[in-house]
Amino acid sequence: MQNIINFLIKHNHWFLLLVLEGISFVLIVSFNSYQGATMFTTANNVAGNIYMAINDVDSYFGLKSENVTLQNHNKELLEELQVLRSKLDIVSDSCAIAQIRESIKANSAFHYHTASVVNNSINRINNFITIDKGSADGITNEMGVFDERGVIGIVYRTSENFALVMSLLNSKSNLSCKIGNSNSFCSLQWQGGDTRYAHLIDLPQYATYEKGDTVITSGFSSFFPANIPVGIIEETVEDGDDIFNKAKVKLLVNFSNISKVYLVGNDKKEEQEQLEKEIKK
Amino acid sequence: MTSNTFIRIRNFIILALIQVLIFSQIHLFGYATACIYLIFLLKLPRHTNRNELLIWGFFFGLAVDIFTNTPGINAAAATIMCFVRNAILSQFIPKSIPDDLTPAAKSLTWGGYLMYATICIAIFYSVLFLIELFTINRPIVLLTGVFASTLLTMIFVAVTEIFSRTK
Repeated sequence: MQNIINFLIKHNHWFLLLVLEGISFVLIVSFNSYQGATMFTTANNVAGNIYMAINDVDSYFGLKSENVTLQNHNKELLEELQVLRSKLDIVSDSCAIAQIRESIKANSAFHYHTASVVNNSINRINNFITIDKGSADGITNEMGVFDERGVIGIVYRTSENFALVMSLLNSKSNLSCKIGNSNSFCSLQWQGGDTRYAHLIDLPQYATYEKGDTVITSGFSSFFPANIPVGIIEETVEDGDDIFNKAKVKLLVNFSNISKVYLVGNDKKEEQEQLEKEIKK
Repeated sequence: MTSNTFIRIRNFIILALIQVLIFSQIHLFGYATACIYLIFLLKLPRHTNRNELLIWGFFFGLAVDIFTNTPGINAAAATIMCFVRNAILSQFIPKSIPDDLTPAAKSLTWGGYLMYATICIAIFYSVLFLIELFTINRPIVLLTGVFASTLLTMIFVAVTEIFSRTK
């Protein structure tokens, strides 16, 4: 008995090692599975506020180019509005415009938020972006995140004042896409390495596509409305023995340079998911 | 002893902030990220209590994890590095000098210190990338990551050593 106690005392650092490694692995696993585990991430208040203070200073340096991008985006939207208005004018006599407007508004399942990026990483295998809005501002898990250039990612975890976004540059991210107007749908994945490119997998062999085609969101998943741009096909990869083809896609968003983002939430997401779950049963 | 602990805690906070605000943001060739906070762990005196070493490693790793959204990964890797540190260190201690020393180029000679640091840091990154990838099916990504990051960190280890010698 004395020997066992002596042994335990002599080798107590082994037990400490096991305990500390145990805690580490609990943290690793819980971050991957447990919803709302944000205490040990940048979405906690201390880390989030430190990054926000740094970002307050840092954001001034990009202000000029940021303004130009926003202005261009505004111009495009104005032009589109003009076109739509003129089209409305043509039909305004024949039907009740107000009624159409009301019905469009009532049927639209998507609502939007804006947010600023306070921290962003691109050098890991699983990259995350921290934004300055959280559950207190109406942000919920699995909202889609994009900016005027294209898709950025999906909200992964939210705390009260911050949210963690799983960027497209994350090995766990999987975005449902389609190519141009062809309606052949596929998924976009990133496997580490170059941050400018991702890969389309599950491309059916009958799908026709070529270099330069635009990849957009499919609207099949409940995260994004259809037709938000994602990237441009850079080259096609022929995979001899595979049923599906692959393609290399140049992402439209430059992930090293993100400051303002839009978030989109789907009010009817639960309804859609519940229905899909019932079918699977 | 207590003033020593205070100095260590102060160094801990300064180094952790430098690490997460500057070095964790830098990434060369898409793979290499320098972990300069390892220098702190490498330079703890040889006769530091083994449990104390483990605890420093764990909390330093955890502090960096919180800021880089990798909960647990750095903590696990740094704890293992601290665990094997003294065994590696004892291989490079020349016979002529006292046993209780602070690892540095002066006490271990340049070759010994750099070898000791390289082995420790390579072990750290091997554990880090293995956990992050969670597979051994991609050996090229794993090896380039470990090699490039170790090399980059070693450059900072050497630079720190040169400047601390001139003091």
